[in-house]
Amino acid sequence: MIQIEAAPEEIYDIELEHSLLEANAKLAKENRALLDRHGVTAIDFMGAIGSGKTTLITKLVEKLKDRFGIAVFNGDATTSSDADQIAKHGIPVVQIATINGCHLDANLVGKACQKIDLSKLNLIFVENIGNLICPAEFPLGSKARVVVVSVTEGPYMVRKHPHMFLGAEVVVINKIDLAAAMEVSVEDLARDVHTLKPDIKVIATSCKTGVGLKEVAAALVAV
Amino acid sequence: MHELSIASAIADHVVEFAESFNPPKKILGVRVLIGELTCIEPEQLKFCYDAITKETSLEGSVLEVERAQAEVFCRHCSYRGRPKFWDEALSDIAVATLQCPSCGKAADPISGQDCTIRTIRYAE
Repeated sequence: MIQIEAAPEEIYDIELEHSLLEANAKLAKENRALLDRHGVTAIDFMGAIGSGKTTLITKLVEKLKDRFGIAVFNGDATTSSDADQIAKHGIPVVQIATINGCHLDANLVGKACQKIDLSKLNLIFVENIGNLICPAEFPLGSKARVVVVSVTEGPYMVRKHPHMFLGAEVVVINKIDLAAAMEVSVEDLARDVHTLKPDIKVIATSCKTGVGLKEVAAALVAV
Repeated sequence: MHELSIASAIADHVVEFAESFNPPKKILGVRVLIGELTCIEPEQLKFCYDAITKETSLEGSVLEVERAQAEVFCRHCSYRGRPKFWDEALSDIAVATLQCPSCGKAADPISGQDCTIRTIRYAE
């Protein structure tokens, strides 16, 4: 193969300042504007696989469905098992299959918004993919982001995934009925969260005993 | 692995630029700006870029990553500058927080969230 190299005077640099996350950010703003026009508040739930996002959303739906029109968007890489569980409560559920994608994006959420009648809704709970890194970079158009961590994920959960908390408004520390067995301190986890972001709301919950669920519901209705 | 989707977005944009000329420009390199407050790993981003540009018109072009420092503004005490870093976190790299280094209350990020293509280097 013959290779020729460009002489320095033949090399050019073009300045662009092209933002790579802007396309998603723009769609997120459009989603937000659409939801605002219909008076709908979307809340994005992020957290690891097994942190209890689906169970928490199910419990919140039970508590709030008589007072509010609620829909759930359920992000899942492959299955619809979570969506099926929530759909039993007779509310609109949209399964968003990312086909192995590691996060939801604003485009997918925008498409999900077209599948339901927004005029009948007040709240949409968006369950993100079980992943604690990627979703942080991709706003969806929600009014608040909730991070669900559980004591079963160990004592260093928050320190290991700091980025996720910087963009969130509410942190739910879940499965506190298991804290003693796991030898994990809920107070230490909460302190780590506040070290990262002092004004974030932290609520300790157990979906098994029901403790804290009322506070989460109240916090989400108030955003 | 959101680095892969970001690397694809970079490659798509660069190809679009190259092909906007007739004949297409030969791309030598791309320089991107990645903020300290993002969770985008520069080494992984370069690895993904090299992997996806292999056997394409971009093969051999070099992705360079420039880091943008984080800065925060505190609406409580009007502090503006570098954030407070969490040294005792488990990482070797200090973790940037949104706690005001001056008064300890919540600060807002004002820079360091960049993920931008700055320049494309090409040959005539």
